[in-house]
Amino acid sequence: MSEENRIPAIEIENLTKDFRVGMRGVKLRAADSVSFRVEQGEVFGLLGPNGSGKSTTLKIILGLLRPTSGSCRIFGKNSADVAVRSRIGFLPEAPYFYGYLSGRELVKYYARMSGVPAEKIDECTEDALALTGMTDAAARRVKTYSKGMLQRIGVAQAMVHDPDLVILDEPTAGIDPIGSAEIGDAIRAMKSRGKTVVLCSHLLGQIEELCDRVAIMNRGKLVVAGTLDEVLTQRGKQLAVIGAGTQLTPELVEKLRERDGLNIESVSHPRISLERYFLENLKRK
Amino acid sequence: MFFLKKIFWIARNTFTEAARQKFFSFLLLLGAGLTAVSLSLTHFDFGDSELKFIADFGFGGIFLFGSVLAVVTTVQLFFTEIENRTALTMLAKPVRRGEFLFGKFLGVWCLLGVFVALMCGVLAAVLALRAGTLAEVAGARGLPPPFVDFGGLAVFGVLQWARLGIVAAMTVAVSSFAQTYLYAVVVSFVALIIAQLQYVFADFASGEKVSFGVKALAGTATKLIPNLQLFNTGEALVFDPAGLSAAAIGCALGYGVIWIAALVFVGMWFFRFREI
Ligand SMILES: Nc1ncnc2c1ncn2[C@@H]1O[C@H](COP(=O)(O)OP(=O)(O)OP(=O)(O)O)[C@@H](O)[C@H]1O
Ligand SMILES: [Mg+2]
Repeated sequence: MSEENRIPAIEIENLTKDFRVGMRGVKLRAADSVSFRVEQGEVFGLLGPNGSGKSTTLKIILGLLRPTSGSCRIFGKNSADVAVRSRIGFLPEAPYFYGYLSGRELVKYYARMSGVPAEKIDECTEDALALTGMTDAAARRVKTYSKGMLQRIGVAQAMVHDPDLVILDEPTAGIDPIGSAEIGDAIRAMKSRGKTVVLCSHLLGQIEELCDRVAIMNRGKLVVAGTLDEVLTQRGKQLAVIGAGTQLTPELVEKLRERDGLNIESVSHPRISLERYFLENLKRK
Repeated sequence: MFFLKKIFWIARNTFTEAARQKFFSFLLLLGAGLTAVSLSLTHFDFGDSELKFIADFGFGGIFLFGSVLAVVTTVQLFFTEIENRTALTMLAKPVRRGEFLFGKFLGVWCLLGVFVALMCGVLAAVLALRAGTLAEVAGARGLPPPFVDFGGLAVFGVLQWARLGIVAAMTVAVSSFAQTYLYAVVVSFVALIIAQLQYVFADFASGEKVSFGVKALAGTATKLIPNLQLFNTGEALVFDPAGLSAAAIGCALGYGVIWIAALVFVGMWFFRFREI
C-alpha cells in the first residue's frame, strides 16, 4: 500500500452539530460526538432510523454545514477546503435540479463545475447517463422527470467526473428494484476500480450485499461501527440446514429435543426476499 | 483561471434558465406592447411633446417591468435554489459560495441587459416611425423636424442596465438571508421603493427647518441608500440637443458599479454563514 492510500478517505472525530430551532435559542443536537473513519477503497454504509443524523453528518463531511465542534478530514484535508471537493461526488437526499435544463445539459453543467477538462465533457456526460440508464430521457427537460428519474440523474451528476469518493444519500429512494440493482452494480464497479463509496440507505438487503463496513446511528449518536461480520453475526446461535431427504416433522423435532437434548428453538423454511423475487422475475432481458 | 470559468458557467446557466421561463417573455411582451400601444394614443399633432409622451411610456416600461423582472428572477434563481436545495448539489462541487452567488447575479444581470436592449430597440423603432411622420408634417408647414437623439437612447439603455443591476444586487443581498420566498420578494420591493425615494432623505438632510437629530439620521440614510433617481436621464439624453456631459454619464455608471459591488459583497457575507 502506498503512502497516499494509507490516508483515510474520511476521518471524523467527535463531531457535534447543534441546530438552533425555535425562537428562544432552543438547540437540537443532530449529531453527538460522532467519530468514525472510512478507508480508501471500501464501501461504507451509514445506517439508522429517520432523523438519526445521517444526512447531517454527510453534509458536514462535504463542508455544507459547519460542525459545532469536532473535526472532519477528507483525504487528509479539512473538509472546508473547496479544492478537495473535485475528488468527491455527492448525491443529496431528495435532490432537486434546474428544471429548465435537459438532463444532458444538467449533467454536462455539473461536469464543468467539477473541473472535467473541456475535451472530455461530452464523453463523461454520455458515460454517466448510460451508467444510470438515462440516455433515452436525456433530451427532455428535468422538470418533466419522475421522482426516480430525478434520483437517477442525481446519481449521474455525482459520478460524472469519476470522483475518488462518492457519497450517496439514499440513492435508491423512489427507484424501482431494477434501477436499485443497477446502482448497486455501479457501486461495485467503482469499488473494483479502487474508489471509495459512502452509502446511506434504508434498503438493508442492498447494504448487506454491498458494504464492507457499516456504522449505525441513532438519535445523533454512533451506536456501532465495524465490518458486517462483526456487527451481524450472532456467535451464540446456530442455524442448521437440513437436506431434502429428511422430513423434519413436529414429532421428529420433539424427539430430537427430548432424547438427544438438542435445543431447537424453531424450525423455518428458508425464503427469498421480495427484492430477490423482483430481480429474478423482472430483470431486463 | 478555473474560478472565472466556473463563474461564467454559473452565470450562463442562470441566464439560460431565466430566459426559458415564461415570465421573462411575458414581461418583455407586456413592456414592448405598451410602448407600441402608446403610438395609437397619439392621433393629434403635439409636435415634440408627442414624442416625449411615447418615450415616457417606454422609459416607464423599462423601469417598471425591468424592476419586477430584476426582483422576481433574482429571487427565483437565487433564493429558490437555496430553498429547494439545488444549491446544495452545486456547493458540494468545488465551487465557493462567493463564486456561486456572483455567478447567479451575473446571469440575472445579463438577462436584464437583454431586456433593456430589446425594450430600447422597440422604443427606438416606435420613435423613429412617429418622428418620420411628424417630420413630414413639420416640413409641409416649413417648420424644423422634431429632435430625437438615438445615440442618447443607447446611452440611456446602458444607464438603465446599471440601475437594474443595483436592483438585482439589492435582491441578491436580501435573498442571502431571507427565510421565505415572500419575505425575499416583499423586502426587495420595499428596498426598491426606498431607493427610489432616496432624494426625500437627501432633502431632509439638507433641509433648514428640521432638527439636528433628524438631519443626522437622514444624512446617514442618504449614504446607505443608493439613489435610483440619478438614472432618470431619458429626457435629457434623448430630447435635449445639449444632451448630458460625458462626465455626468461616467459618474452615474461608476456610481452604479460601486453600489452593485457593495451590495453583492453584502450578499456574499451573509451567504457565507448561512446554513443550507
Ligand atoms: N436545517 C436544520 N434545521 C434544524 N434541524 C435540522 C436541520 N436539518 C436537520 N435537522 C434535524 O436534525 C435531525 C437529524 O436529521 P437528518 O436529516 O440528519 O436525519 P437522517 O438520519 O438523515 O434521517 P432520514 O433517514 O429521514 O433521512 C433531525 O431531528 C432533523 O429534524
Ligand atoms: Mg437523511
